[in-house]
Amino acid sequence: MSSPVIRLTLRGVLARKFRIILTVFAIVSGVAFVSGAFMLTDSVKTAINSLFEELRGDIALEVRTPIAFGDEATAQRDPVPAALVSSIAAVPGVSSVEVNIIRESTIVKPDGKPLKTSGPAFGISWLGQNGLDGRTMLEGREARGPGEVAIDKASAERADYVLGDTVTIVGPTGKGEFTLVGLTGTGDTSGGGGASVCAFDPATANTFLGAKGLADSIYVGLESGASQATVQKAIATVITTKYEVIPGEQSAKETAGAINDIIDIFGKLLLGFAAISLFVSAFLIFNTFAIIISQRLRELALLRAIGASSRQIRLMILGEALIIGIIATAFGILGGVGVSKGITALFNATGAAFPSATITISTRTILASLFVGIGVTVTAAMVPALRASKIPPVAAMRPEIGFTALQRNKRLLAGVITLLAGITLLCVGLFVQPGGTIGILGASGLGAILLFLGVASLSTSFAAPMSAAISRVLPFPLRPMTRSVAGRLASRNAQRTPRRTATTASALMIGLAMVSTVAVIAASVQKSFRDRLQGSVTADYFVTSDGFQGLPPAFGEKLAALPELGDVSPFRISTAQINGESKQIGAVNVEMGNIVNIKLTSGSFAALGNGQILVHRDPARDLALSVGSSVAVTWQNGTTTPLTVGGIYDDSSIAGNWLVSLDVLSKASTAPPVDFFIGAIIADGVDIETARLAVNKVADEFPSALVQDQAEFQKSQEDQLNQLLFIVYCLLVFAIGIAVLGIANTMALSVYERTREFGLLRAVGMSKRHLKRSVRWEAIIVSVFGATLGIAVGVPLGIAVSIALPESFVNGISIPFNTIVVVLLASIVVGIIAAIGPARRAAKLNVLEAISAI
Amino acid sequence: MTSTTPTLVAAAAALNASKIYGKDDSEVRALDDVTVDFAEGQFTAIMGPSGSGKSTLMHCLAGLDTLTSGKVFVDGTDLSGLSDRELTVLRREQVGFIFQAYNLIPTLTALENITLPLDLGGVDVDQAWLNDVVHAVKLESRLTHRPSELSGGQQQRVAVARALASRPKIIFADEPTGNLDSRSGAEILAFMRHAVSDLGQTIVMVTHDPVAAAYADRVVFLADGKVVDEITSPTSEQVLDRMKKLGS
Repeated sequence: MSSPVIRLTLRGVLARKFRIILTVFAIVSGVAFVSGAFMLTDSVKTAINSLFEELRGDIALEVRTPIAFGDEATAQRDPVPAALVSSIAAVPGVSSVEVNIIRESTIVKPDGKPLKTSGPAFGISWLGQNGLDGRTMLEGREARGPGEVAIDKASAERADYVLGDTVTIVGPTGKGEFTLVGLTGTGDTSGGGGASVCAFDPATANTFLGAKGLADSIYVGLESGASQATVQKAIATVITTKYEVIPGEQSAKETAGAINDIIDIFGKLLLGFAAISLFVSAFLIFNTFAIIISQRLRELALLRAIGASSRQIRLMILGEALIIGIIATAFGILGGVGVSKGITALFNATGAAFPSATITISTRTILASLFVGIGVTVTAAMVPALRASKIPPVAAMRPEIGFTALQRNKRLLAGVITLLAGITLLCVGLFVQPGGTIGILGASGLGAILLFLGVASLSTSFAAPMSAAISRVLPFPLRPMTRSVAGRLASRNAQRTPRRTATTASALMIGLAMVSTVAVIAASVQKSFRDRLQGSVTADYFVTSDGFQGLPPAFGEKLAALPELGDVSPFRISTAQINGESKQIGAVNVEMGNIVNIKLTSGSFAALGNGQILVHRDPARDLALSVGSSVAVTWQNGTTTPLTVGGIYDDSSIAGNWLVSLDVLSKASTAPPVDFFIGAIIADGVDIETARLAVNKVADEFPSALVQDQAEFQKSQEDQLNQLLFIVYCLLVFAIGIAVLGIANTMALSVYERTREFGLLRAVGMSKRHLKRSVRWEAIIVSVFGATLGIAVGVPLGIAVSIALPESFVNGISIPFNTIVVVLLASIVVGIIAAIGPARRAAKLNVLEAISAI
Repeated sequence: MTSTTPTLVAAAAALNASKIYGKDDSEVRALDDVTVDFAEGQFTAIMGPSGSGKSTLMHCLAGLDTLTSGKVFVDGTDLSGLSDRELTVLRREQVGFIFQAYNLIPTLTALENITLPLDLGGVDVDQAWLNDVVHAVKLESRLTHRPSELSGGQQQRVAVARALASRPKIIFADEPTGNLDSRSGAEILAFMRHAVSDLGQTIVMVTHDPVAAAYADRVVFLADGKVVDEITSPTSEQVLDRMKKLGS
């Protein structure tokens, strides 16, 4: 770039500050999303890594049972005999050995209510004043004997307990009362990293936590000077090959890594929303540049006439885009801090618990933001820049010559091809589903982008008739406007620059298309869920866990013992490999057959009692299984159980794809069992109130248990879906906000362009009010056009996605007409909001000056 | 039809130049087989009624527009064979422009506007020449102002200075005084006259105004896309007289 180009570029940016602020704003939100997603995941990961590093404390080595496959996220390790402790302690170099037992244990507050935590509620085994792990005794001393407990200081403060108080704790084996003798912390902090911690001495932990002589793993501390590797080898010879001994760092890393994987998925979701925002901003940038260029037509032509090459013009426009991109990215990174905090708050408000963490801004975050912010801006400005460089120099003297626009037919053809390519790719992604998750997302994502571009390009062709139609069909209260001069002018104005109207509307289209898509999917999921619950669930009660670790088996056993209840069955989930692939296997009692109707098409539920396996028809078809076939199931501890197929079923919505009996599971794996949910039906002749009282009485002992009847269960499931929808809509609001900015920007530019015209209108007697109304009305037409396009694209898209979703999720389409009407009405509001600034500006014009403007 | 004195070299020329807009029924012959040349060091005015093709002729001569048939030459170079890139360079180096209005880039100062063609071409500014030009158009005190801070006459003087700054082979002026009051207009015309007489510039000016045309060495009259007449060393009365004849 030679110096005059740089000068012209800088001056060009400075001369259009207002325009550029609006454009910058649009990119800022997209970049803020990108950087916010990275910052959030980085911060949470850092917090989690440091938490686990802290918790590792002085654990030099850990003895545990190996797993055959899978990672820490799904690992259900078989326990280690606590008796190994003595032989490990005898190994030279070992300073201390502790059993690691972690079970769910809830602290009951003095008022009898369970103490709520933002993380899990743990009961653990604790040896000595300060254990090997990172937890420390802050006040008092460790628990000694069956009647004592130490709890974390933060929980004690929240529950209002002081040393010497009697604390009620609910553990896996039931309720117990303990004297509080110590307050613990993690490192220097008084909390348990969001969790509540109840620390018992090893013997109490063994009985009260139901460990039965087994430990989750064994922690080993080293004497100072002892070599970790040497001791590791020595321990390996003491324990049998059934167990493994690993460095403490590795264990901490594995656990943190498993959680980090989940956070990464969440981060990717956020990046998806960032992509939508950026895609919408690209339209706004494109439009702003296109309009600015048409307004600068004479200036650009003059430059060409006096010797600027088309390359220099192109560089000048791209240079402007570059400057805007850099400014926007800088602000976007700042905005990212806000986004990451805002999203944390949003999720915490709906019940998720994010660890509080300082915001981490890594180099990668900055590089990615720069790449995205500048890339999108410059790419969006590419076409306008190219168009600008093609302005014939003679236009300096004959402005009517203007641009050589793509021919209508060519544009139509390009639009149709893009649209068809988009639909094809989308269908391939959704229905052929090549290459797993990445293939599905990649193909359908690219398809959706092409679909949007195609519709945006085609919409130019029907922007004029649609605008005319919209101004005719708008609902009654607005109708008087259409008859007035202001209304007619607005309608004509929207029609006279169909390209601009279409691009502006397209930005809104994308946001609203996403909303309609999500709305259709949500309505279909909700309807399917309702239908299914009514058709296949006969359970009177569902008990789920409020906490993180599922329900202790003791709860189910107590429920089963109630005479007021008939059939009771827990549902456990285990990970296993079938045919080399990792699967979730459900384990239930035969009674589950009476509680949930899984719609068997062959075989019988009773076959479960004979140690057989029930298979959903999809995997059965894929693996060519039928009643009598045999399947080899390899559990995580490496045990392989050969099983016979006892039945094929249709409905996997509650039971999943594979079902075995609890007996089969407990024979194969000794990992501490956790119930995912418990289903129960009321015994014959017992009335609902009596049954509920009896169930509640048991539930009171287990604070994390959430007892729901069918209606409550249904409602809670719908609430969960609605919460998720709320978050999705909140994130889409960003994209819609950008589109509103886009409409405001286009209107402002149009007002500027029509200065003379407005002056003339005012001169011949149009009032300020009418002029404002005309601008507002035009904005409404544009936004309703965008909303119509959005619904027209989004509803079919939602239907397509609903069809593509697995049947266990969606088995019928439902179109939410209410939401669609709300979207249409909201788009009118959007138009009114977007027109506030431009309308005011139009009304403020000085009539004389406006007329003499060139 | 050549009317040039043989001793003079043509700075620009058109040979059988035709420009047709539209097709069939709506066909308009803006230029109809025009052959004309413009001598170096001369101030030529092109006149004619609206729609006579005078602007089209100038646009084609300046390489801003292309002919339907025929040829145009600038300094002996046939423009029809040039690419866009070559035309750009030609405009930057050989041709200067003065338009009726919107002559300047609003975001650049007067001085930056004057040196813009040189800057675009990456050519060093000849400071002495620039001083002469700025002095001639009396803009010394206005150089750091933006166009919006200048009067119409001052803006047009900046445009003249810009056209002169790169010492082009030929300057094309399109109604340069059309938007000015008569005093400012007379000033501009005097500068242009001065540039030709004292600095040796070649200027071709399209105008409606017989008074403006009287500043020229020669007036070429166009009507219906054809060259119909010419006068050398005109007075405004002579020009007015010819115009009246053409109009009747």
